Amino acid sequence: MDILNPYYLQIVTFILINAILGISIYITLSTGQMSLGNAGFMSLGAYASAILTMKLGLPLAFGIFTGGVLAALVALLIGLPTTRLQGLYLAIATLGFGEVIRVVALNLEITNGALGISGIPSLSITLGKVFNSTGLAEALSLDFQVAGQLGLVVLLLLILICVLTFQLLLEKSRIGRAFAAIKEDEHAAEVMGVNVVYYKMLSFIIGAFVAGLAGALYAHSTFFINPTDFSYHKVVDILLYAVFGGSNVIWGPVLGAFILTLLPEVLRFMADYRAMLYGALLVIMMVFRPNGILSRELAAKIRTFLCFGKKSPGGDRQ
Amino acid sequence: MFFQQLVNGLTLGSSYAVIAIGYTLIFGVLNIINMAHGEIFMLGAFIGLLLVTKFQFGIFTALLGAMVGGAILGYLLERTALRPLRQKKVSHLAPLISTIGVAIFLESVALNLFGPQTRAFPSEFSGHLLDFSFFKISMIQVISLGTAVFLMLVLQLLIEKTKVGKSIRATAENVETAGLLGINTNKVIVWTVMLASALGAAAGVLVALSFDAIEPTMGVMMGFKGLAVLILGGLGNIKGAMAGGFILGVAEVFSVAYGASSYRDAVGFGMIIILLFWRPQGLFSKAGEGGRP
Repeated sequence: MDILNPYYLQIVTFILINAILGISIYITLSTGQMSLGNAGFMSLGAYASAILTMKLGLPLAFGIFTGGVLAALVALLIGLPTTRLQGLYLAIATLGFGEVIRVVALNLEITNGALGISGIPSLSITLGKVFNSTGLAEALSLDFQVAGQLGLVVLLLLILICVLTFQLLLEKSRIGRAFAAIKEDEHAAEVMGVNVVYYKMLSFIIGAFVAGLAGALYAHSTFFINPTDFSYHKVVDILLYAVFGGSNVIWGPVLGAFILTLLPEVLRFMADYRAMLYGALLVIMMVFRPNGILSRELAAKIRTFLCFGKKSPGGDRQ
Repeated sequence: MFFQQLVNGLTLGSSYAVIAIGYTLIFGVLNIINMAHGEIFMLGAFIGLLLVTKFQFGIFTALLGAMVGGAILGYLLERTALRPLRQKKVSHLAPLISTIGVAIFLESVALNLFGPQTRAFPSEFSGHLLDFSFFKISMIQVISLGTAVFLMLVLQLLIEKTKVGKSIRATAENVETAGLLGINTNKVIVWTVMLASALGAAAGVLVALSFDAIEPTMGVMMGFKGLAVLILGGLGNIKGAMAGGFILGVAEVFSVAYGASSYRDAVGFGMIIILLFWRPQGLFSKAGEGGRP
């Protein structure tokens, strides 16, 4: 099968990981906080999982989960002072946090400094072995590498669906309504009895957990990480997924990650101008469509279209 | 040793202060953080370098040229990424994102134009050392420190004594009221962004002179340091930015001299993270003043 070549599967893998990253910043944005620290949380998850699985030989699933938990714990620690900060202060403080994490990773021995960690246990090889041992790969006449990568794609898709479902359920719950209230008007929400600090912390921590998870998945999909992977440019990439796709609807960051991961592959012939294009794109988006491609109105339209004109459930919330 | 480090720190800090003033001026009138400032700084360094190497200009003429170039970039920045947003009702994070876009764009342009390699000013500028008994100071450091202090004094005069300065201060106080009082606030905003960018470009030349390393990616790192100083001094506080710049410069040099040299780039942000626990409004602002947006 032509469509299952490793190159395509690799791109799909990155799209899925980036979509999870996009959701991580979306979750913090859903309380109106702009955190630029998600690349930092991502690197925490990636390094934690890589070190745990390599040095201690722990199972991959445990490492990945712990990566997320560690990022959440650190978010709890730095969240208390930073979530009291508003708007620009939070953005700069979290940007600073990411930068501090990067410099620390550059200097520690356990992270192997600027050289980074290579030979991280690979998810696709592990999954490939599972496929082989069950005989599923043979039944589908796939070779080992493709079977493994396909398994990875399926796994990432499942995780993405889990994260999406979690967030969708959250939005319908009391917590989600509190988030929305804070995003609309923090003071009004506080007057209505919403515990603003608590909910802002909560969204910050959930966002960090998801970013850490994505980082760990990234480490086990690429087998190699170094501090440069989580630099300022990663911050901008993650921000772009949400801003470009749409930061008011959960499908926005997913769409953004899809388009922006695919675009460089399609535009490979103009790789030198990619960053230029991205930069111009950010400015143009802010000027003409500050809410991203998938705005609330557009999402509502699509929803009614998909429901064939029936009044969509939950569509009257806004 | 101590005095030597202090002199080095103050020289470095004076450049940081000039960068941070650029951020703080724009924050003052527009209430936004201009994330493209670091890239204007970087392009300023390149313009200065080109004027010196290709056109054999003297260092001060080159500095002036870089400032003019910076001002032009500032004008373009204001017209493309700031004014269109001001005319619409958008979230206060939108200008932050659009200036990040400009930053990425400029960095990529510089990478394509100049290539990724590191360049340096010709060695004739490195000059000789002036030897005082307990510290040495190079000609470059004298030029760098002197120019930075001169620029800060001129700015202080401009802001405090001239009519332009008065209208900038009025606009910073309240854009709408300033507009009602007959100030052309759009014009004032353009001037401020141009002034801030000219200062950023000048800082670029000064830092490039003392560090001998000009590369397209230097804008990000320096931009970050300027941001750290901005928070340190308090948003929109010009004197705070000056003091904060010197503090960061000295802190960095001492952290290198007494141990943690590889953590140097984390010093600034480490300081502001601690500061934000304790005095979120910055070292030199009273609570509520300039404070949280």
